[in-house]
Amino acid sequence: MAPRIGIVGIGHCRFGNSSDYDLVDVIAYSANDALEDAGGLALRKEVDQVFVGNMAAGMFNHQTAVASALISRMDMEPCPAELIENGPASGASAIRMGYMAIASGMADVVLVAAGEIMRTVSGWEATNIVATMAHTEAEYNMGLTLPGFAGMFTRLYMQKYGLTERDLALVAVKDHANAALNKYAHVQIPVTIEAIADGPEANVVNNYVAEPLRMYSTCPITDGSAAVILVNMDSPKAKLFKKKPIRIAGIASATDTHCVHNRKDPLVLDAVRLSAEKAYKMAGIGPADISVAELHDAFVIFELLNSEEVGFFERGKSFLGVRNHETEIGGRIPINTSGGLKAKGHPVGATGVSQVVELVRQLRGEAEEGRQVKDPKYGMAVNFGGFGNNVVTTILAKD
Amino acid sequence: MAIDELEKKLRPPERGLPPYPAKMIKLASGEIMVVREARREDIGALLGTVYPLIEVAKDYYDIVAARMYNELLAWYRYRIANEFAIVGAIDGEIAGIVTSRDVDGKLGMSLHTMTIKRGLRVGAQLFAAKMEHHIEYCKEDEVWIVAESPIGFKRWMIEYELEDRSAQYPAVRHELGGVPTFALTRKLWDAVKAVKCTGTRPVPPEILKTADKLKMPNEYVQLPGWKRNG
Amino acid sequence: MIDFSQYGEQTPHIHAFRCQKCGAIYYPAPMICAKCDSKRDPVTGSGWEEFDLEGPCTLLTWTRVWNLPEGFNRKFLMFGMVAFPNGLKASGRIELEGDPGRDPEIGMALAAKVMEADERPGKPVKVYVFS
Repeated sequence: MAPRIGIVGIGHCRFGNSSDYDLVDVIAYSANDALEDAGGLALRKEVDQVFVGNMAAGMFNHQTAVASALISRMDMEPCPAELIENGPASGASAIRMGYMAIASGMADVVLVAAGEIMRTVSGWEATNIVATMAHTEAEYNMGLTLPGFAGMFTRLYMQKYGLTERDLALVAVKDHANAALNKYAHVQIPVTIEAIADGPEANVVNNYVAEPLRMYSTCPITDGSAAVILVNMDSPKAKLFKKKPIRIAGIASATDTHCVHNRKDPLVLDAVRLSAEKAYKMAGIGPADISVAELHDAFVIFELLNSEEVGFFERGKSFLGVRNHETEIGGRIPINTSGGLKAKGHPVGATGVSQVVELVRQLRGEAEEGRQVKDPKYGMAVNFGGFGNNVVTTILAKD
Repeated sequence: MAIDELEKKLRPPERGLPPYPAKMIKLASGEIMVVREARREDIGALLGTVYPLIEVAKDYYDIVAARMYNELLAWYRYRIANEFAIVGAIDGEIAGIVTSRDVDGKLGMSLHTMTIKRGLRVGAQLFAAKMEHHIEYCKEDEVWIVAESPIGFKRWMIEYELEDRSAQYPAVRHELGGVPTFALTRKLWDAVKAVKCTGTRPVPPEILKTADKLKMPNEYVQLPGWKRNG
Repeated sequence: MIDFSQYGEQTPHIHAFRCQKCGAIYYPAPMICAKCDSKRDPVTGSGWEEFDLEGPCTLLTWTRVWNLPEGFNRKFLMFGMVAFPNGLKASGRIELEGDPGRDPEIGMALAAKVMEADERPGKPVKVYVFS
């Protein structure tokens, strides 16, 4: 029988512009934070395995073999360490590898640390680097980027289901309101629906990025890191950690076609649905049991689509739930209480771990006043790799 | 006030530019930014706002602040011809400043754009206001533009589709010197103004009044830990 | 024997692939046929036939991107996904005649042609232009 695996330490830095700092230092910062949260830096000697999540350090920072570098930076030799690269799902994939290491019996304590520093380059270059996850000949060479895919996707959804630009703006307003209360968020400025959608100046204040997506429908370019410590809750080592573990009840992954145009149905995110189904099954619960969710929203349309694929809303109806305030804190299913990638920020390799850190904070009752969900029991995180072609879903439980 | 003869010699001739009519813009945060032309009595607040940023090397704040300080002081002391400054203020606190000048009634020379309050595209709005003044109110045919920040400049170059005049150097040479000059013509402005330039006029008196006496920011995101009042 | 046709001006083409064992068609090229498990050898190409994928197509969705990546020094580019009559789909750029601000319409008939583009460093690449 697989052991129970839980999170006993979390670390997170303020997301924003860390381009003056060394990437490995930034990742180590959150790793140290997680160790201290777990009981102290000396606990690093109890770690059996390190996984590091990062997407593009080779391009952004001229640094490869990041996991090896982190080990030395943290005085953790000879601990085994591997870099996990799964595009923007690197973080959640690293957690999944950590889970599998413990479940396999090869480790009892795993440190998962993830980070990205993107603002070493211009916005155009960052967009270009992130676009390399697309199919080289059929997509990247065409000049297509992630915003371009998201724009096409959003247009189709609008045509089929009646979503409006204002609905996208409503999601952004919610995300910014949440991020304004989150000490780790990149953008801590609330925005108003009048300013970004309804008002006479909205067209300029909230300009198009990839029509019909506007600036406030897309995430900023962000630097940052996050870390978690996983433990085999049934091992003697579990007693070393001071905080009650938040259990990983379900974790699963699925893939879809690389080329976006080859999806069976362009509006269906099979990988999200399949990974969520597997995670629900593993956890023994369903969508109605989820108290709080962090759904990958590099573009606001993803929050809506993901919420449908994981079963919070019927297909094509999620934006109606937004209009009814169902996804706000205090609503039926609070989504992206951290501010989401939209306002908290999206340091691509770190995002998956950051989402899980947020869930742990919520489940522990440690979120800031005003954005703490009342008495949450289960949290779900969906972390996208590529344009939804490699997705990891994680479900956490407060036992 | 009588100006002595020597002082008169040192002052450049002034064309007497038309005023820039104030407008207000609702920023994404919902805050209202009043955009108005700076007046002589604003100079203390303007200089005091710019000065601390001379220390900030990141994002080219140091050179922009140093040069803008010079431009504002020169404007105040009548040592630069036909300059204007436009300021954006939120509840009276300066959020951004732009400086520019008219050369000969047909040509404008864009000087500097400085964002004080970051994260709300204040700089983009004020740059557009500056271009609006040059072309719509001063009726110039084109404006020459350069920038210190390569990223900021590239953004303008692409978003406004500025004409590259660098091949005409030195006949076409921006006053700030040493850099390739790009031009925003009336035609280029007309093509983008709907998506670049916004604002509501006239500004209701009670809102305009908030920007009557400009205030210097007490803190700057660009200067962590710094406070004006100790 | 030298293949002299490799010299001179070449018209760029983008190829789709047909599995000669079962007839299934693909774009872009797979390494395994999903229908009959035939393997594709990218060196010899044996068992697979390449054919030009261009000509009439239908627009499935589109966008106008204002924040282009490094190397694309222009204000915006339009992109779209299209479906060919043979069922294959592709992504590429859209260039419509007349007003550059004119919006395409989902479902409109377009023609796909292949051009060379060199916005990025390195060798020029082949891109679809749907017009």
